[in-house]
Formats: sequence, C-alpha cells, structure tokens
Amino acid sequence: MIQLFHVTKRWSDDPPVLDDVTLQVEKGEFVWLTGPSGAGKTTLLRLLFCADEPTSGQIVIGGRNVNRLSAGGVPFLRRNIGVVFQDFKLLPNRTALENVGFALEVLGASDAQIRERAHKRLAQVGLAAKAGSLPLRMSGGEQQRVAIARALVNEPPILLADEPTGNLDASLTDSILQLLFDANARGATVVVATHDRGLLNRYQRRTIQLHHGKVTADA
Amino acid sequence: MTHVAWRLLRRALINLWRAPLPSLLAVVTIALALFLGGAMAFSVLGARVLLASWGAQRTVTAYLDRALSEEQARAVAERLRADHPGVEVVLVSPAQALDRLRVQLGDLGGALDGLSRNPLPATLELTPRGGGDLRALADRVSNVGGVAEVDYGREWVDRLEALGGALRGFGTASLALLAVAALLVVANTIRLAVYARRDEIEIMKLVGATDGYVRAPFLLEGALQGLCGAALAAAGLLAVQRLVLPRAAAAFAFASGASAPHLAAQHCAVLAAAGALVGLCGSYLAVGRSLRT
Repeated sequence: MIQLFHVTKRWSDDPPVLDDVTLQVEKGEFVWLTGPSGAGKTTLLRLLFCADEPTSGQIVIGGRNVNRLSAGGVPFLRRNIGVVFQDFKLLPNRTALENVGFALEVLGASDAQIRERAHKRLAQVGLAAKAGSLPLRMSGGEQQRVAIARALVNEPPILLADEPTGNLDASLTDSILQLLFDANARGATVVVATHDRGLLNRYQRRTIQLHHGKVTADA
Repeated sequence: MTHVAWRLLRRALINLWRAPLPSLLAVVTIALALFLGGAMAFSVLGARVLLASWGAQRTVTAYLDRALSEEQARAVAERLRADHPGVEVVLVSPAQALDRLRVQLGDLGGALDGLSRNPLPATLELTPRGGGDLRALADRVSNVGGVAEVDYGREWVDRLEALGGALRGFGTASLALLAVAALLVVANTIRLAVYARRDEIEIMKLVGATDGYVRAPFLLEGALQGLCGAALAAAGLLAVQRLVLPRAAAAFAFASGASAPHLAAQHCAVLAAAGALVGLCGSYLAVGRSLRT
C-alpha cells in the first residue's frame, strides 16, 4: 500500500531529515512510526500526504508513484488519505458536524449526504450529542475525536496520524487509539507517529524506528 | 454540480459579510474607477459626436463683400458655377442667413429682433458633388473677386480633433491607472481574506480540495465586489445624467444638432463586465500567489 525506495529529504545544506529510507507498509497494516523528536517522523508523514516532496528516492502509494504526480493529481491522492494531527487542525468557527462534513464538501457531496455521513461518523466516535458544538467548547479528547471523524468520513484506505495523543492525558489516549484500531479493523492501513514508548509497549504492533532520519529498527 | 456552485457562492457571500470593511473599500475603489472611466468614456463619446457633426460639413463657405449688391452676388455665384461645374453653388442671402440663425438659436432667436440691421453678409455654399479637396477649392475661391473670406471648417476641426486625440490618450492612460489601482486594492483585499482563512485553506487542501475549489470562493468574492462596484458606478453615472446632463444637453444639441449620449442598458452591461473582470483578475492574482506560498 505504501512503499518508500531510498527516500531522502534535505532542506538546503542541512543534514538530511530523512536519509535513504526504504520501507513498505502492507494494505491493512497498523504501523507505529517512532523515534525521538527530530528523528524525521513528521517529515515522513508529510511526504506521504504530499505536503512536501522528497529530495531523492521514490514513494509509491496505492500503486501510484507520488513523484510522477502532477500538481493537479495531488488532491485526488489526498482523498485516499485521512490525516490526524496533534493540534487537531479544526476550524474554530465551525461546529463539530461542519468540521467533519468539510472533508465531504470539497468532494462535491450534497448537503443531505454531508449531514448524514458526518452525523454517522460523529456517532461512531461517540460525539453525536456534540454535533452542534464549536471546537473551542470541547475538550482536547473530543476535538481529537472530531479530527479523527473528519479523517475517516471519506472512508480513506490510508490513515496517517501524527502524534494524535500528544496533547491528551493518559485516560483519553486509549480511547483515541481505540478509534484508530477500529479504523484499522475496518480495513484501513494506519500509520501512527509517536514518541511515546509506553504506547508501543501497551499496544504491540509493527514498529518502525527512526533516528536522525534513518530507519534504525523495523519489527 | 449546482449544489457545489451554490455552496461556493454562499461561502463567498458569507466571507464578504464577515469582512465588510475591506470588501467595502474594494467596492468603492472599483466604483470610483468605473465611474471616472464611464464619465470619461461618455465625454469622449460626446466629443466624437460633436466633432463628427462639425467635421461632416463637406462645404466651403465663401463670405461675399458686404458692398456687393444682390445682383452682383448672383453674378459671382454664376461665375463660380461656370468655373467649377462639379461643384454645387448655393447663394444664401443675408436675410436667409439671418433666418437660419434664428432657427438655430431656437428660444434665443428672439434676441435677433433687436438688431437695427442685418449684420450677416451674403454667402456662397460650395459643395463638391463627388467629394474633393476642400482646401484647394477654398484657395481658388478666395481669389475670386467679390469674395471677402473663405471658411471650409476643417482647419479648426482638425485642431479640435488633435486636441481630442490628446485628451483620449490622457483619458486612456488615466483609465489604465485607475484600473490597475482598483485591481491592486482588490488583490490586497483578497490577499487579506486569504491570510485570514489560511487555516481553512490548509485543511481544504489536506482533505483533497483542488486548487480550483480553493480558488473559486475568492474569485467569486472578487467578481461580486466588482459587480457591486459597477452597480455603484452606474448609479453615479445615472445620477449625473439626471441632474447635470439636462442643463448641458441643450447646449450640446445646439452645438452639434445631435443629442448627448445617454447611459443605456448595454453601457451598464459593459460596466458590470468591466467591474467583474477587475475583481476577478485582482482576486486571481492574490489567490494564485497565496496558493503557491
């Protein structure tokens, strides 16, 4: 599903943020991407959803070589990738329902479809009652649930999460991770970047370790 | 697709509503540019009508010596007819000339009744049947005995036309400057809007919005600002037309024999198109730059 071949990412003359990374994630896999701050986790995820381009190497997602995608092709690739961020990236002046529906708006869904599907996703993450709430009136855990609902509303085959529990306390972390495991159980390929060793120990899955931009372990 | 278009339009309207002051500034700038442009265009159009009516005279007027009797004037006319068979020669007596002037003056014609004597000389109007060089004809006629003065109209019309050309050039340059100013104001307004909504744009792109989809509400905003500006400009021009033109129209009709140009539906359409175009171009510039960054 996701393949990286000798991918290097370098900003100007600085040492590479990613250095000759080669890895493969199979369809339906759940993968932890771990390493200390500055290891290159976020950069790797950004390359996967085409926010940045690799300096060298090839990235293939769902059989499509990202390097060969035209600028016009990137949005269509992104529609197959749900992304969850540590800081949620919700629109503060829109309700939870509107934030979730936003991902469907850009796909051209009708208002009725948007309402129905966004409601369904919010119910799935346990926030049906908060559909009309603005993000700032919700807790961090609730905001992250909304962000996950938005990432999943389009039922993308790939879900990327960058430190999704980084801003949450331990009690909320498990419930958020459960949502990601649920998405994985429904068939989505999930890659979660985290530096929290506790999580890796508690939920043992394939773990790719990065250090100074290199893959130092994959097990 | 209709619901997408409606959604984009709704978003553009909401965005305009949420940032009324920058939008108002853009609307007023566009309105000002279009109003001045429209006023200038109407002035040029009016001047053209005026010049065309004056320049359309294809006649050499020969003013005869006041000392000539009616008989002698007729003799001069006959002589010119004989010398220039291709030219139609019409003798206008002083009395006929006074009658014409009375008609031209309209309501003011009564003022001529107070004259103790007719000050107008007899004139000969020479019109080449197949067209021809008026200047050469005027030169020849001026040498004929009994002819005091010759006027063929072109000389000062040429000067006026040259002046008109210079004014047109100045007007076009001013108009271009105004359009660029309006464009920059719209571009900056939209750039502010883009900046204010950068998070929204980032998320839109993240969830797979195409550049076109991201751009569309901003382009619509620009076009709407342009259309509002055009509506204001049309209202301003109509007001000027209603309040100022009636006073100038009488003088205009007297001077040219034609009516002054009026703001018609097609002019409003041109204003609307120009406004929308300025708005569209301004926002395209702003969003294009912002999307790249």
